[in-house]
Amino acid sequence: MGAYIARRLWQTIPTLGGVILLVFILFNWVGGDPALVLAGKVPDPAQIENIRRQLGLDQPWWIQLWIFVGQVFTFDFGRSWSTNQLVSEVLLTRVGPTLTVMVPMLVLETLLAVALALLVAYVRGSLTDRTVMFLTTVAMSISFLVYIIVFQWLLGFRLDWFPVQGWSNDLWTNLTVYAPLPVLLGVLVSVAPSLRLYRSFFLDEIGQDYVRTARAKGLAENRVMLRHVLRNAMIPILTYVGIGLPGLFVGSFLLEVFFSIPGLGREVIESVNRSDFPVIKAITVYLAIVTMSVNLLVDVLYRVADPRVSFK
Amino acid sequence: MLAEPGRGSRIVARLASLLLACLSGLAGAQAAATEPKVLRFAFRSVETGFDPQRVDDVYSSAVCNEIFEPLLEFDYFARPAKLVPGVAVAVPAAEDGGRTYTFRLKPGIYFADDPAFGGKRRELTAADAAYAIKRLRDPRNRAPYAWLFLNNLTGLDELHDEALKSGKFDYDRPIAGIEVVDRYTLRLRLKDPDFTFLYRLTLPQTAPVAREVITAYGEDTMSHPVGTGPFRLAEWTRRQKIVLVRNPGYRGLVLDTTYADPNLPEHRQVIAELQGKTLPQLDRIEIYPMDTDQPRFLSFMSGAHDLIQELPVSFIGEAVPAGNLAPALAAAGVRKQQVVDTSVWYAQFNMEDPVVGGYTPERVALRRAIAFAFDRDQAIAVLEKGQGAPAYGPIPPGVVGYDPAFVTDQMDYDPARAVALLDMYGWIDADGDGWRDQPDGAPLTIDYMGTAGSATRHYAGMWERSLRRVGIRLQARAVQFSDQLRDRKAGKYMMAAGAWTADWPDGQNFLALLYGPNAPDLNDTRFRLPAYDRLYERSLQMPDSPERDLLYREMTRLMLVYAPWRLLTYRKWTHLNYPWVLGYMKHPMYQTRLLYLDVDPVARRRAQAN
Repeated sequence: MGAYIARRLWQTIPTLGGVILLVFILFNWVGGDPALVLAGKVPDPAQIENIRRQLGLDQPWWIQLWIFVGQVFTFDFGRSWSTNQLVSEVLLTRVGPTLTVMVPMLVLETLLAVALALLVAYVRGSLTDRTVMFLTTVAMSISFLVYIIVFQWLLGFRLDWFPVQGWSNDLWTNLTVYAPLPVLLGVLVSVAPSLRLYRSFFLDEIGQDYVRTARAKGLAENRVMLRHVLRNAMIPILTYVGIGLPGLFVGSFLLEVFFSIPGLGREVIESVNRSDFPVIKAITVYLAIVTMSVNLLVDVLYRVADPRVSFK
Repeated sequence: MLAEPGRGSRIVARLASLLLACLSGLAGAQAAATEPKVLRFAFRSVETGFDPQRVDDVYSSAVCNEIFEPLLEFDYFARPAKLVPGVAVAVPAAEDGGRTYTFRLKPGIYFADDPAFGGKRRELTAADAAYAIKRLRDPRNRAPYAWLFLNNLTGLDELHDEALKSGKFDYDRPIAGIEVVDRYTLRLRLKDPDFTFLYRLTLPQTAPVAREVITAYGEDTMSHPVGTGPFRLAEWTRRQKIVLVRNPGYRGLVLDTTYADPNLPEHRQVIAELQGKTLPQLDRIEIYPMDTDQPRFLSFMSGAHDLIQELPVSFIGEAVPAGNLAPALAAAGVRKQQVVDTSVWYAQFNMEDPVVGGYTPERVALRRAIAFAFDRDQAIAVLEKGQGAPAYGPIPPGVVGYDPAFVTDQMDYDPARAVALLDMYGWIDADGDGWRDQPDGAPLTIDYMGTAGSATRHYAGMWERSLRRVGIRLQARAVQFSDQLRDRKAGKYMMAAGAWTADWPDGQNFLALLYGPNAPDLNDTRFRLPAYDRLYERSLQMPDSPERDLLYREMTRLMLVYAPWRLLTYRKWTHLNYPWVLGYMKHPMYQTRLLYLDVDPVARRRAQAN
């Protein structure tokens, strides 16, 4: 296992190199000129030139690339071009609010989807199954934006069950007061596709010979479902959850904007609007690293879920 | 069985309840006297920071304006906005034919306490004002408002150029353009006469700052604003919450009603609510920057916020249907103000474009036909939900030089005239494909550039439909803001959405957009008309006067004749506040004027309990 992890870590280096190159090309050749945005309402050529020089945009591309590589490996992306705040400080202050919303959302969504999927898979073809499938189809057909607009108005304003928006500096207040509505909406939106997918995983397992054998041996249904079916379906479920894990760290832009949550998703959008490349570059690279780490973690977890899995 | 109480006992009960009410009223009054006055509202976009010389967005500038004080400011009542002293003793008179301005600062104004001052009170001096102006031209600051002092103060451009070479701006070197005469006197000398120069000194970007604070906080000045204004920054979660508290060292102010108009009910109300009070009255202000309309609107509707500025157009129908307050809001005593913004919205043509640009009759005819083809009234009704007034000239209302009597039919919707003009000058369908071609037979397609966003998209759609009606093909493209800036600057566009908001309330600020020598930086329309330029140059030599207004009008006429812009609207904003917000009157030149606001916490509590 140690050798496997070492090999995987070694493989991250060329992947990260590719990410660095791609991000660099995207921002330096495809993106707009940030000096024009920063030069203000009445830009004059000398001012634009001065900004380009200060930001290092007048340097040859290979020097700019080298500086970028250095930033990635030292985790020092300098300061935001629009707010002059340290990029590391931007990331550290933004990741907390994002995780405060996204972690409960992922946990609730996964538990709910797995439980419901197991239930409807068990009663496959029944009225309950058909009703749940119909509801999930409807739920998936509606845009997330519509959910937010409608439920913010209904639950936040009309019924006054939750605050319309807001955030505080206290984690407990955020978890109990400000996060519940965004979390609820996030769960409502994400549970439908997960439920359908997990149901198909469970149905695949229910049709396997070992399930028939277990039932023939007279095992109780709940034991068959929870001990055998659930366990064997965990590998594809883990894969699916793993794919979504990096998203935890960038948050949901829509939720953060509508509920005034000072998270990373909102930061990305603001940074793009202001051509704040240091922040965007840092978040992109950081997300790539998180994705690679999570993928490795999920691969390791496969073995925990299923001892038959071996590392090669 | 309970016996009915007798008359005597009823009287005793009433007296007791009266006494209780009096006591609770007294307690309430005492509580109100000690209860902090807190105002909560939202910005409709996010801020970047609070170093006045390093910011340029509206909302950061607004906060800076509450923390710092420029030399001059605008009176709270006067319309059009009128210059009054800020930290200066008086508005200086132009000397040397508009080349010199001498400011005398009020003695005894102190910066808010800060560790950078080493525990001593720090008085504002003329050197601080000079330092702020120089900071704007220090290349290290990348000041977006550096243009305020570009090519005007004697010796400042040279100082800037030397700093570019040496990498260090010499703040201590005296220059003729910025003279600190004594502790409280600052003299500014210009290379050329400029009678609108003083307006620059109203902007928060020019507000004096203490050099030791800037030195102490280095690169973190955006989060450490230390000014002389009525409020100071107490808490800041970037792009989420800004908390200002009253600056205990602020000298205090009483309402100046010199320019108030007693015939205007809103002026009378402000006077009644603020007269006799020492300003500021607010103890704490919580500002929530929000990028989206719905949470901002709902926060106001739920009473979580005390006022909403610039009511989103998408919610006009709910809050102000048919121009009147919705019954629920009216019942809650909400007050409404509609203020025409000091901005103009238009579609501009690239005057150097080989198809739509140029000054020959057929090119002018094409631009004017395009102008006639656009149904502006429909755009105001449908896209702006009535929150706009038709623009007849480049100078909007509330700005010196605006002429309310000036109305022209050149910006009317008149497709018949458009068709006649196009036919007359050879813009006909030469190849029979259903679309008009150029006079030489080449295909005609108008490229319309706008920023990505629903408002621009809707306008582009309306342009496309309008021009199709007269046989012109238009293709709209939505680009990122930075790309639009790049293409405008490089002249790589044919027609584009444009808008300008006043930096100061003088027509010159708008007419400069079409002044030839300002192309292509400020004048990205690239309009170069010698007759216009001569008028503009003459107007610069003149103070505000009827003679100068005539020049402004003549420039407007030339603009209408050559049609480098299709004028669209003057934006109208609706602002709402609950009745417990006192003294609120939206100023056209300021995003906020918190110094003049008060809150009645008892009235708020009572209203919210109901």
